[in-house]
Amino acid sequence: MISMLHIELRLYARLIRMQLRAQMQYKVDLVLDMLTYFLVTVLDFCVVLIYFVPFPTLLGWHLGEVALLSAVTSLGFGLAELFGGGIDNFDTLIRQGDFDRVLLRPVTTLIQVSTTQFRLRRLGRITQGIGAFALSLFFLRGLNLIWTPLKILVLLLGIASSALLFVSILLLGATICFWTVDATELTNILTYGGREMLSYPLTIYHQLMQRLFVFIVPLAFGTYIPVCYVLGHALPFDLPDWLAFTSPLVALLFALAALAFWRFGVHRYQSTGS
Amino acid sequence: MAMIEATGLSKTFRVTKRRGGIFGGLRSIVDPEVRRVEAVQDLSLNVEPGEIIGLVGPNGAGKSTTIKMLTGILMPSAGQVRVAGFNPLHQRREMAAHIGVVFGQRTQLWWDLPLIDSLHLLRHLYRVPEERHSANLARLRTLLDLDQFINTPVRQLSLGQRMRGDLAASLLHDPQLLYLDEPTIGLDVVAKARIREFLLRINAERGMTILITTHDMDDVEALCQRLLIIDHGHKLYDGGLAAIRERFGGERTLIAVLDLAEVHTLPRTAEGQPYLAELPEGVRQVRLDGPRVWLSFGKNALPAHELVAWLGARHRLKDVTFQEPEIEDVIRRIYEEDLLRQEVEVF
Repeated sequence: MISMLHIELRLYARLIRMQLRAQMQYKVDLVLDMLTYFLVTVLDFCVVLIYFVPFPTLLGWHLGEVALLSAVTSLGFGLAELFGGGIDNFDTLIRQGDFDRVLLRPVTTLIQVSTTQFRLRRLGRITQGIGAFALSLFFLRGLNLIWTPLKILVLLLGIASSALLFVSILLLGATICFWTVDATELTNILTYGGREMLSYPLTIYHQLMQRLFVFIVPLAFGTYIPVCYVLGHALPFDLPDWLAFTSPLVALLFALAALAFWRFGVHRYQSTGS
Repeated sequence: MAMIEATGLSKTFRVTKRRGGIFGGLRSIVDPEVRRVEAVQDLSLNVEPGEIIGLVGPNGAGKSTTIKMLTGILMPSAGQVRVAGFNPLHQRREMAAHIGVVFGQRTQLWWDLPLIDSLHLLRHLYRVPEERHSANLARLRTLLDLDQFINTPVRQLSLGQRMRGDLAASLLHDPQLLYLDEPTIGLDVVAKARIREFLLRINAERGMTILITTHDMDDVEALCQRLLIIDHGHKLYDGGLAAIRERFGGERTLIAVLDLAEVHTLPRTAEGQPYLAELPEGVRQVRLDGPRVWLSFGKNALPAHELVAWLGARHRLKDVTFQEPEIEDVIRRIYEEDLLRQEVEVF
């Protein structure tokens, strides 16, 4: 079992290396893409900051706190974009009929699909996330925030969970392609919309939205809940603050559900061929 | 053990119509408009190891669906399949390690990277032991003459070179069975001949079983001992190439070159066209052009040598050649005139 996983991971790394080498064929393109993407994401971040020009706080959150939330969301989403590129691009694979080739190889479908693309240019967002994180630390100076190893751990696990949650949403979207390739916008609402919304404290939204992101599509477990733990903000719905430690578990369960749906979709593809 | 064993294979598609508009995509999931299409019906097939079998049929006949069911991409709606001893449905990944598949119109190579990179990566995808892989790679490099372009990115290869690369890619893991879907499509005559020669060679030397779909009847004539013709999802014919020519080949043509001076003395029709008088029964003059005369005769009319003797006795023959019916014409006749289907209905 463990050795199987090891083999699959090595294969995954190899396939990613192929993608990287392919992209290195177009170096100038790559650098320009990365730079543009970096600038676009910096603008996104500035939009978040502009709110604080006329107002000192947002429902009790200070500039530095919102900046931290936004940076963490950016990092989680950026990692998801980087590793989930092939999954995000799955509709093209289906449209061109290349999924047949995936089924002809003795390798797990998901490994093959997720490595059909590795968008190095998405490093632009991750760079922005790191920059924004540094900036948020600068803004947080006045707030007497004490960093403990536990808080750092929660934050790091949160970023990883957030990435896994976003990749799982991409996988749900990819699976829908087995039924129709016309509905890809549907999951974009959750990924891009989710990223946009979670850059702000969740409590500014309607109850319904809060419930959605905590209980149904638990993106809040990736960013909002860990950041609340770090900053000492209360969680919505009077949830206990130790929930911040359950982020990886919640993300894993959500990912397993998405994986089961994916398997169901592959099965359906094999019975309909479309 | 048969390499391919299929009984009563059928595939019915439920085709959903797409709706337009913003919510059309969503509505097609929730409330689809469905139409049933019978792509393949009751197809049975037995292929023994070492056979080269051609699968032909017009577009939309069910060739791709059949291949997809035999490779484990598609589940049959009904029927049993075993390929190389595996059930393609439940053992897709195990079976995948034992078959090779080449799609003429689609490459499995990494587009932006040198050919050699793809060939190396495939070792890991198929978990081929390193020694076996390098031995196979060395052999295929020579046989397919890959060395001159092995370090070129795949996107810069010519179609023929790419096809050779794809063939190598599909054979590195020593498959027992090779599926080829239109392997010579778009290639020039030299490239086609090269691919055919290679396929015959791996069949002869390694006993490779090959199933090939093609529209190119030269492929069929050069490669296939056996032919499977399907149309509208039904198997129309399964048998040897010679037999089908024999049965449906219609007439052969004899081209005789006469003495030009003699042609002028021949009787003429009302239109002033010279003709050979009193031809034996079943022999028909098709054309006459200068000293050449085309005579068509059914295979039951009389033996070819008797016709030559008959001509020699009455005319001054300078040369004689025969034209066998082209397999392409034979197969076109089968589709167009529905020859086999009528026959099925009679029995």
